[in-house]
Amino acid sequence: MSTNVSAEQRIALPPPRLERGVLGWLHANLFSSKFNSGLTVIGGALVILVLWFGLKWIFFDADWEVITVLGGKLAIGPYNTDAACPGNDCVWRPQAGLLLVTILMGMGWGMAGGGLAKRLALATAIIAAAFAMLPYSLDKMGWDVRLMLAANLPAVGLGWLIPKYTPLRTTRWMAVTGVVVFVAVILLLRGIEGVPGLKPVSVIYWGGMMLNLLLAVGGIAVSLPIGIALALGRRSNLPVVKLLCIVFIEVFRGMPLITLLFMSQVLVPLAFPENFPLNSLMRAAIVITLFSSAYMAENVRGGLQSLHPGQAEGARALGLASWQATLFISLPQAIRNVIPAIVGQFIALFKDTSLVYIIGMLDIVEFGRAFIQGNPEYLPDAKELFVFLALVFWIFCYTMSYVSRRIEHNMGVGRR
Amino acid sequence: MASVPRRLTYQGIPIWRHVQIIQWTTQIVSGILVVVLVVWFFGNIANAVQDRNIPHGFGFLDREYQTPIGHHFLPYDPSDTFLHAFLVAITNTLFVSIIGVILATILGIFVGVARMSNNWIVSKTALVYVEFFRNVPLLVQLFFWFYIVLALPQVREGYVILNGLFINNAGISIPMSVPSSAAAAGIWIVLALGSVLAGVAAHRWLSWREIQTGSSSYPLVGGTAVAVVIGAVCWLAVGGGFGEAPLVISAPAPEGAFGRIAGGFTLPGGLIALLIGLVIYTSSFIAEIVRAGIQSVGRGQTEAGRALGLPWSGVLRNVTFPQALRVIVPPLISQFLNLTKNSSLAGAIGYSDLTNVAKTMTQTAPAVSIFILIMAAYLAMSLTYSLIGNLYNRRLRV
Amino acid sequence: MVTTNDDAGAPDDIIICRDVNKWFGEFHVLTGVTTSVKRGEKVVVLGPSGSGKSTFIRVINRLEEHQTGDIIVDGVPMTNDVRNIDAIRREVGMVFQQFNLFPHLTVRQNITLGPMKVRKWPRNQADEIADELLERVGIPEQSEKYPAELSGGQQQRVAIARALAMQPKIMLFDEPTSALDPEMIKEVLDVMRELATSGMTMIVVTHEVGFAREVADRMIMFDGGRIIEEAPPVDFFISPQQERTKLFLSQILA
Repeated sequence: MSTNVSAEQRIALPPPRLERGVLGWLHANLFSSKFNSGLTVIGGALVILVLWFGLKWIFFDADWEVITVLGGKLAIGPYNTDAACPGNDCVWRPQAGLLLVTILMGMGWGMAGGGLAKRLALATAIIAAAFAMLPYSLDKMGWDVRLMLAANLPAVGLGWLIPKYTPLRTTRWMAVTGVVVFVAVILLLRGIEGVPGLKPVSVIYWGGMMLNLLLAVGGIAVSLPIGIALALGRRSNLPVVKLLCIVFIEVFRGMPLITLLFMSQVLVPLAFPENFPLNSLMRAAIVITLFSSAYMAENVRGGLQSLHPGQAEGARALGLASWQATLFISLPQAIRNVIPAIVGQFIALFKDTSLVYIIGMLDIVEFGRAFIQGNPEYLPDAKELFVFLALVFWIFCYTMSYVSRRIEHNMGVGRR
Repeated sequence: MASVPRRLTYQGIPIWRHVQIIQWTTQIVSGILVVVLVVWFFGNIANAVQDRNIPHGFGFLDREYQTPIGHHFLPYDPSDTFLHAFLVAITNTLFVSIIGVILATILGIFVGVARMSNNWIVSKTALVYVEFFRNVPLLVQLFFWFYIVLALPQVREGYVILNGLFINNAGISIPMSVPSSAAAAGIWIVLALGSVLAGVAAHRWLSWREIQTGSSSYPLVGGTAVAVVIGAVCWLAVGGGFGEAPLVISAPAPEGAFGRIAGGFTLPGGLIALLIGLVIYTSSFIAEIVRAGIQSVGRGQTEAGRALGLPWSGVLRNVTFPQALRVIVPPLISQFLNLTKNSSLAGAIGYSDLTNVAKTMTQTAPAVSIFILIMAAYLAMSLTYSLIGNLYNRRLRV
Repeated sequence: MVTTNDDAGAPDDIIICRDVNKWFGEFHVLTGVTTSVKRGEKVVVLGPSGSGKSTFIRVINRLEEHQTGDIIVDGVPMTNDVRNIDAIRREVGMVFQQFNLFPHLTVRQNITLGPMKVRKWPRNQADEIADELLERVGIPEQSEKYPAELSGGQQQRVAIARALAMQPKIMLFDEPTSALDPEMIKEVLDVMRELATSGMTMIVVTHEVGFAREVADRMIMFDGGRIIEEAPPVDFFISPQQERTKLFLSQILA
C-alpha cells in the first residue's frame, strides 16, 4: 500500500447519519422513497399475515397424524410389507444400502478434505441418525431399525478414513467405488436366490423415496455416456448419424416424460425380443434414462461448443489422434463446464421421478396418495401429506441447487 | 519440378493407412451401426405387431369412441369418432397451455421484477417464492391444489358472490357473454375486429404524427377511443338491425335437485388446480429468467442512458428492456414448451388433456397408432414454439 | 514411403516445400510456395495479416491440409498416409499465439500428456523430462499449478516446454508474443533465444524485429499467399529489394 501523508492526515468525516448502522440499512432498503415505504408497509403486512396463518396452521390446525401413520413407509414404500417380504424382516436391506451410500459420501469428504463434500456427508449422516432419535410415539421403529440408522454416524467416519489409509483416493477410484456401491445397493434390494437372509424381493414392491432416488441417480449416471455419444453424434459430419441423433434428441425432448412412461408399457416390450425379461421398474428406468440422455446430450453439446478451437489444435499439434484429443482434451473440459447444468438436470429428473405413478409404481408421492385414496378417513389430511412431501422434496432439491451454485462459484474462482 | 500430386492420391499408400479412407470408413461403419440398431429396434416392433396379432393401422379413427370425456371445450358426445375425440383432447391441452402461458408470463415477470426491487421485504419475498416453488415437484403441487379445491364446500353450500360468481368443489362459475343468434354475433364480431384494426391504424398514425411534429398526440388514448367508438356504433347498428343485442350475458345459476350450476362459464375444479399449479410452478422459473435477463444488461448501459438525459422510465423502456429481451426470450420459449408438456400431468387430477385421453384410448384402439398420433401432436406443438422463437431471433438480428 | 526427389534442396534440407498451393474455398491462401529450410536454420517469417504466413507454418504439421505441391519434412513426404502424418507431427513442435494450454490439466500434466499418450513413455520418465524442461524455461516451481494461475508469459513458456517434451527436430512458432503484455514478451523471447543457440531448427512468425535481427539466419516475406522476398536479416532490413517489403518494414518499424 502506498503511503500518502496528506491522505493519512486527512480527518475522516463520518458519513451522514442516514447512511450508517441499522437506521441507514432501514432507510436504504425499506424507506428510501414514499413508494418504497408504501411497498414495505403493504409487503410487511402480507408477510406477517401469511406467517401468522401459516404457523398457526402448522402448529395448531394441521393434523399431522397421517405422516406418523405412514412413517418409514414413505422412505421405502411397500418394501417390507407381507406381500413383498414374508416375515417382514427385509427392512435392514435398504438401511444397509443407505449405510453404503454414507460410507461413499464419507470417502468423498476424506478425498476432498473438507468444504462442500464434508458438509454434505455430515448432513446426510446426522439427518439419518436424527431419525433414530424420534420418540416412539411418533414413529414406532424397533431398536434394530434405530441402531442401523444411528450407525450412519460411524459409517461416515469410516468412509472418511478410507482415502487416508488406502489407495482409494483418486477421482477415478471414487467413480469405480460409486458404481460398485450402486450395484451393491441394487443387489441388496433385489436379493439373491438361495442366499439366506437375501430372499428376492420383487421390484414391483420397491417404492417410497428410495425409488425416487434410485431412478434419479441411475438415470443420470447411465444417461451421461449415452448423452455424450449423442452429443458427439450430433456434431459428427456424417449426415446419417447426425440426423438420427437430432431426431432422437428432439423427439425425447419434445414429448412429456409422463406420455413416454405410459407408452413404455406398450412399446418397450415390443422393441425387445419376446422372451426378454422386463418389469415395470426396468421399463421406467429405460424410459427415464433415454429421456435424460436427450437433455444430457444438449448439455454436453453446449459444453463442447463453448470450447476454444485452439484446444483441439493444441492436441493435434502434439500428435494426439483425434479420438485421443476428444477423450483427453475436449470431453473433460466440456463436462466440467456443464457440471452445474448437469446438477440442474439431476434436480429436474429427481422431481420428474414422481411421474412413475402412471405405470403403477409406488414412489413417495404415489404411495402417500394411494394411502389417502384407500383410507378415506385421512382424506381431510391430504393437505398435510402434500405439504410434508413438498418439504421433503424441497430439502433435497434446494440442497442440490446449493451444491450446483457452490460448484459454479468455485469454478469461476479457480482454474479455467 | 517433380510431378504435382493431386488432392486425393494413393501414392502406393496401403488403404488401411490412408487418412481419408480411414476417416470415411470409420464414419460409414458407425453410421451403419446406428442404422442397424434403429432397424433392429423398429423391426422388433414391426415383427411383434405382426406375430402377436397386435392391432395396428389408423382405421379406428372413424369408429365411435363411445367413452365420455370429462371436460371439453369443443362440443363432444360419446357417439363421436376417435378422430373427433382426439381433436377435443388436443383443444383441452391447448386451452390449458395458452391460458397457462399467458398467466405464468405475467406472474413470472411480476415476481422477477420484484426480485430486483431495492425494497428488502419485496425482494426477499420474491426469492422465497422462487426458491420454494421451483424446488417442489409439480405433481406434489398439483395434488396439493387439487385437494384444496376438493376441500371447498359442496355445490349446495358453495360460496356465492354477488349472485354471479359461484365457488364450490365442482369449480368456479362466472357469467359469460353468449351469442344471442349466430348471424348477429358473427356479424358483430367481424365488425368488432374491424374496429380494433381501425384503432391500431389510428394509433400508428398518431404515433407517426407525434414523431414528425414533436408535439404530444396521445396515440394510446386516441387509438383506444377510435376502436371503442366504432365498436359501440357497430353494436348499436347490429342490435337495431336484428332487434336484439348480438351478445347476451348468461349468468350461472343453481338448477335441479342437486343444485348443479348451469349457465355462464364453469372452470372445473381439476382445471383450476391444474392452472394454479402450472402457473405458479412455471412462473418461478420465468421469474429467474427475467431477473437474469435484466441483470445481463450492463450497468454501463443504464448509466449511458441516464447520461443522455432520459428519465428512468425512458431508460427502462428504450435501453434496458430491448436488450434484456434478447436474453430472456429463448429460455422463456423453452419454459412455454415445458408448461405445455407439463400439462400432461392433468390426468393425475382428473382433467382430460391429450395424454390422459390417449391413455384411455389405448384400451380400445391400437396403442402403436395412438403413440404415433400423440407424438405427432406434441412435436407439432414444440415445433411451433421453436418456430416462434426462431422468427423472433431473426427479427432481432435485422 | 521415405523417398525424396533430390532435385530441389540439398540433402541437409529438413523442410522442403515445392509449389505448395492451398485454397480456403475460393480463396487462394498459398500460391505456389517453394522454399526449403536447412537443419538447424532459424527462419523468421514476416508479412501483413492475411498474407498466408500462418497458414504456411500450419501446413507444415498438417493443422491445415495443403491441396497441391510437395512438403517433405525430415525426408518424410506429407501425404495422406497416416504413418507419415504421425511421423511428421512427432518431429514438429508448435507454439500458438493463444498458448492453447489445456486448462483442466496442471502444468506438469500439460507437458507429460504428449510423451505419455503418443510416445507411450512411462510416467516417471515423462515427469523427469517435464521437470528438466520447466527448469530450462525458467519456471521449475510452477509444475503443480493450473494454466489459469500463471501469467501470460509463464503460460507461453509452458507451451514451449510442452512442445519440446515431444523432442521435436523442428519448432514452429505462430506469433508467440502477440497476445502478451510488453513486459512479458522478453521472458518468452529469452527462452526462444536459448532454444536457438541450442541448434534447434525454428520457423517463427513474428513482428519482433529485434529478435529477428539477432537470431534469424534468413527472413521470409509473405504477401498475397506467396513468398515475395527471402534474404539474410542484414540485407533484408537494410536493403529490401521489393517495394512491398519496404512499405511493410516502414510500417512496422515506425
